Amino acid sequence: MTVTISGTTGITSPGGDIITTSLVVPTINVQTINAGSSNTLSLQTNNANALTINASQQASFVNNVSMPNTFGFKNRIINGGMTVSQYNGTSSVTVTNAYVIDRFAIRCDTGSSNTEGQSTTAPTGFINSLVFTTGTGASPGSSAQNRIYQGIEGLNVTDLGWGTANAKTVTLSFWVRSSLTGQFGGVLNNSAFNRSYPFTYTISSANTWIQISITIPGDTSGTWLTTNGVGIGVFFDLGMGSTFVPSSSAGNNTWNGSDYRGAYGDTAVVGTSGATFYITGVQLEVGAQATSFDYRPYGTELALCQRYCYCVPGTTAGDRVGGGFIFSSTGGIFYVYFPVYMRASPTLLGTPSPISLNDSTAAYAASAVTLNGSNVNFAAFAATSSGMTAYRGCQAYFTNTQTNTLLLTSEL
Amino acid sequence: MYQLLENTPSLPISIVQRLSDKSCIPFDKDNTDYQQFVRDIKNGVQLNDAEGNPITGSALTTFINTLP
Repeated sequence: MTVTISGTTGITSPGGDIITTSLVVPTINVQTINAGSSNTLSLQTNNANALTINASQQASFVNNVSMPNTFGFKNRIINGGMTVSQYNGTSSVTVTNAYVIDRFAIRCDTGSSNTEGQSTTAPTGFINSLVFTTGTGASPGSSAQNRIYQGIEGLNVTDLGWGTANAKTVTLSFWVRSSLTGQFGGVLNNSAFNRSYPFTYTISSANTWIQISITIPGDTSGTWLTTNGVGIGVFFDLGMGSTFVPSSSAGNNTWNGSDYRGAYGDTAVVGTSGATFYITGVQLEVGAQATSFDYRPYGTELALCQRYCYCVPGTTAGDRVGGGFIFSSTGGIFYVYFPVYMRASPTLLGTPSPISLNDSTAAYAASAVTLNGSNVNFAAFAATSSGMTAYRGCQAYFTNTQTNTLLLTSEL
Repeated sequence: MYQLLENTPSLPISIVQRLSDKSCIPFDKDNTDYQQFVRDIKNGVQLNDAEGNPITGSALTTFINTLP
């Protein structure tokens, strides 16, 4: 048998014969190891198989597998695929500083008539994105903030060791598409806003999805919370005022002891009327390489979101909200238990959809519903009406057939 | 501007309403809306009692000192 070693074609033998050697070589630098058309490739340690790869490219590990980005909760971003939208459903909204879809908030200080919402424009492998469309368009003032934001809870990044000598490297990846081209950016920062890492990326082709991967060394300085507060803040810049970006490119792609929310030289999406910016597939994982997106079951993703926002749903008149009691002719209390323990006692966001109480003898439309008390797993609501009879039990239900909501939030 | 909400009879007040959007905020130091409420009233944003009367001066200071 003739074995050929070539710098071009590698080590080959006629017919793909197996080459066996007892030669111990400290390091082998090769580009391709080919087991042939029907053989199994084996890697051994201590004279036993550790990894085998068969002719169908199926890999089998004999023992445990340890990887920097764990199999469980690899992606520290929640709702990175933008599928969960409890706040506004599929509706487009105009906000100045609010959560638009679950776990993603938008602040927009500049211009007017900007719109945001969940979109079905998405790259292959995704069904949704978060879209921002500029309204009138204007240049951001020096202290203006225009950005997309997710605060990652400190309890979900306890393993990163940030603020210590053992800080782990992370990789942020996402799919993005814009009608504009040029340099774009964002920031990772801590809850005290005194450590920030402005990152940059380039969109070269307008209206074309591109996947971006940014590797960020772990910060060995500063205080990074591992509590239920903000562990890491992730910002995507839509146009930051000069106060919130480095004074030169030297501050980009490095850790700073400053409160930056964007990178120097970023394109201001808010500066062009009608400009669009789509983002999805957002993933922050441990390690220096972006890996495939962590597709979690929808129910799991929804439950993760419900730690921060719970929308009591209802589409039909009579859809139940909760049970309770009537304590006077004008007041009743009803309770809602949460499917997931929330991060903190939640806020009742805005005014809920119309609600009525029924004490089994009559229905009473509530003129007002306010939060009466809450903790991390339930909330009590006070409903005001008239003509009720005290000390009766009651059911609370949505009054109308429409998209009803009662929103509770404990966002970061 | 904020207004305290009367609670169920015999229970202490533990909710404040943000009048700009009618959101109801519990007194929980981990709630970011509550954190903003505390910052706001310390910076002079008006706080009303449950009847709609502004709380000012020493009464406001006393109230702030009772907050979690």
